[in-house]
Amino acid sequence: MSSSSSPSGSGADLSERRGIPAAKFIQDVETYLSQSGFDSNSALAFHQERLQQYKVVEMKLLAQQRDLQAKIPDIEKCLEVVATLEARKGTGESLLADFEVSEGIYSRACIEDTDSVCLWLGANVMLEYSCEEATTLLKNNLENAKASLEVLVADLQFLRDQVTVTQVTIARIYNYDVHQRRVKQVTTPTAIAAADS
Amino acid sequence: MMQQGKSSSSGSEMQVTWEDQQNINTFSRLNNRFHELEDDIKLAKEKCDNLEDAGNELILSDEEMVRFQIGEVFAHIPREEVETKIEEMKEATFKSLENLQHEKESIVSQMAELKKVLYAKFKDSINLEED
Repeated sequence: MSSSSSPSGSGADLSERRGIPAAKFIQDVETYLSQSGFDSNSALAFHQERLQQYKVVEMKLLAQQRDLQAKIPDIEKCLEVVATLEARKGTGESLLADFEVSEGIYSRACIEDTDSVCLWLGANVMLEYSCEEATTLLKNNLENAKASLEVLVADLQFLRDQVTVTQVTIARIYNYDVHQRRVKQVTTPTAIAAADS
Repeated sequence: MMQQGKSSSSGSEMQVTWEDQQNINTFSRLNNRFHELEDDIKLAKEKCDNLEDAGNELILSDEEMVRFQIGEVFAHIPREEVETKIEEMKEATFKSLENLQHEKESIVSQMAELKKVLYAKFKDSINLEED
């Protein structure tokens, strides 16, 4: 199983994704160190810093993911309410609903048969829509939110892969460094002994 | 969480190929997904239990109009309709719970496979256990 010169296989071989630079996989530590001119310590420092940067981006993406994951059930709840109202439309009955006015205080509302609903769009804006338009709008929002979440999850996976590659690289450079020091320790006393004799 | 091969004892030059790296990446992804699934399964089980309790309460109660929570409001809905709704919700939640559990089983077996491969190559230089 020889290591090939260029990464093969999966479609995730990008040099960067949405502003996140990819961590380059090092085939051989010794070659890498001599080519880049780094010594072990500065190479380790460089990769540690990269790791920190990745962590910062990961925090940001995780926060975005949490927001989206909270938004989606909200939109689904709205859809449910609109669907219930629409189902009642034909029957002519009014719907009695208890809603929270303040913590622990509820008020009863009688919702007449209606064709339109008002949707809160955010930023102190509320618009009136017909039931069908409202359903369409909410469904669109739901689709967009789910699509954004998918992209975000893919970004996070890419990021985590880069973090893993960087962690492995750090470990390998460290091991290489330890190995080099051991080798030097063994050869230097021998050299001194040879010079003395 | 996974720790990568900090083999302090030997300091050996263990070659890591791109394929090894990809295996490690895949293992990491699977591990993350596994933890997410465990959380999701816990939530789904709770939801199932709650729906079960709600169904039982409904059977015990006498009222004709039940206050059923839709979104943020409690709508007054006749009993049979509520029964139907709860049944539907129970089925949907149960199905989703089953799917999650299947996915979890598949991930556990994939992780076991990868563990075998990685331990075979790296032996002590890698740690794939939860700490």
